[in-house]
Amino acid sequence: MSTRLFRLHVNGAVREVEASESATLLDVLRGPLALVGTKANCLEAECGVCTVLLDGRAVTSCLVLAAQCEDREVVTIEGLAEAGEPHPLQSAFLEHGAVQCGYCIPGMIMTAAGLLREKHDPDDEEIREAMAGTLCRCTGYGKIVAAIKAAARNMRQGR
Amino acid sequence: MHVHRATSVRQAATMMAALGAGARFLAGGTDLLIQLRRGALACDHLIDIGRIAGLDGIAIEGDAVRIGALTLHHAVERHAGFAGPLRSLIEASRVVGGWQVRNMATIGGNVANASPAADLVPVLLSLDATVELTGADETRRLPLPQFLLGPRRTAARRDEVLTACHFVPPAGRHATAFLKAGRRKAMEISIVNVAALLAVDDAGRCRSARIALGAVGPVAFRATDAETGLQGGPLSDEAFEEAGAAAAAASTPIADVRASAVYRRHLAARLTVKTLRLCRERLQEVA
Repeated sequence: MSTRLFRLHVNGAVREVEASESATLLDVLRGPLALVGTKANCLEAECGVCTVLLDGRAVTSCLVLAAQCEDREVVTIEGLAEAGEPHPLQSAFLEHGAVQCGYCIPGMIMTAAGLLREKHDPDDEEIREAMAGTLCRCTGYGKIVAAIKAAARNMRQGR
Repeated sequence: MHVHRATSVRQAATMMAALGAGARFLAGGTDLLIQLRRGALACDHLIDIGRIAGLDGIAIEGDAVRIGALTLHHAVERHAGFAGPLRSLIEASRVVGGWQVRNMATIGGNVANASPAADLVPVLLSLDATVELTGADETRRLPLPQFLLGPRRTAARRDEVLTACHFVPPAGRHATAFLKAGRRKAMEISIVNVAALLAVDDAGRCRSARIALGAVGPVAFRATDAETGLQGGPLSDEAFEEAGAAAAAASTPIADVRASAVYRRHLAARLTVKTLRLCRERLQEVA
């Protein structure tokens, strides 16, 4: 298998990694970059646990090749906090007890981060539609939706 | 496997000609990468066309609409120009995969994949769309029915890139609708999908009806018998029931893990009727 050097912008830093030419972004994140907050599960964009932001949009990193990400901004769950402060979504998930086993939560938060970049005041229906591709098998969706609404409110109020 | 990035359509076409049968074009990748991982497809080279300039975006000039092949499903969902009579485009785009997939998956990919269950295809058929194919030396346009040859088979030559879809909505009062049946609302491959367009004259009689169905045959198709039956007549429940029966009769569904053939044929009739009713309701809105 042929490998090559990829130059990626991940969480605000330029990272050079060697990986298989056909490596996915997910492979590179969890492998050489050791950013294991992004989970690997279905590998077919059915579950959403591998969601990251690519140029500000939520995408499933299992279905993007690292080669498609060069010169584009990647943000993972590890890069969401700013200056040591948790992102408003992270705080709201904690406050609302929106986390059960926790496995899906990085994907949930990154999907929601993509939504909130686009819609500052989403209603329940819009949240549920945006989150439809990110599965929680503990089925704690009610609190997840409530946490996203609270985070949106806090972000609008500049908190 | 090698991955090459093309910066122009001409370069992509030239690469494809040089690399031969073991190469595939890669755009959004949301279907291709799954097929490759499953081993359903094998290839030695991927030619990444996803960042070629000028292939992205929706342009409306006069009556003519051009949807660039790299336009994301998300962009179609949010396009204000489709919020009125062309709403079926939004309805089909927003049920493709999940939010994340729609941030990656392209309209060109949905069409060029030639899946019998592709959600945008019946809509584009109901809009009489043509596809624009660009090779190293020329660009040509083909009516969508001539482009789709069978499951995962198209009339594109090896070196041709699907670069856009074009259509001109009918003049006068018209409405569109799209409905799909699946086991859940999100993230589903369609069991049956139906797109319709109804245009009416001043008296409210049907000037033109276009009905297209997916996932009930080897390729999505226009139910021309159903359309002819509506032409010139009133938009009555009886006429819609007849159109539904004609659409089911034109269907040749298979039975698979998602649904039996009998159920698919039943849905073909019922969804056709529902889609036509939705068009009728929408015609009232713009009356």
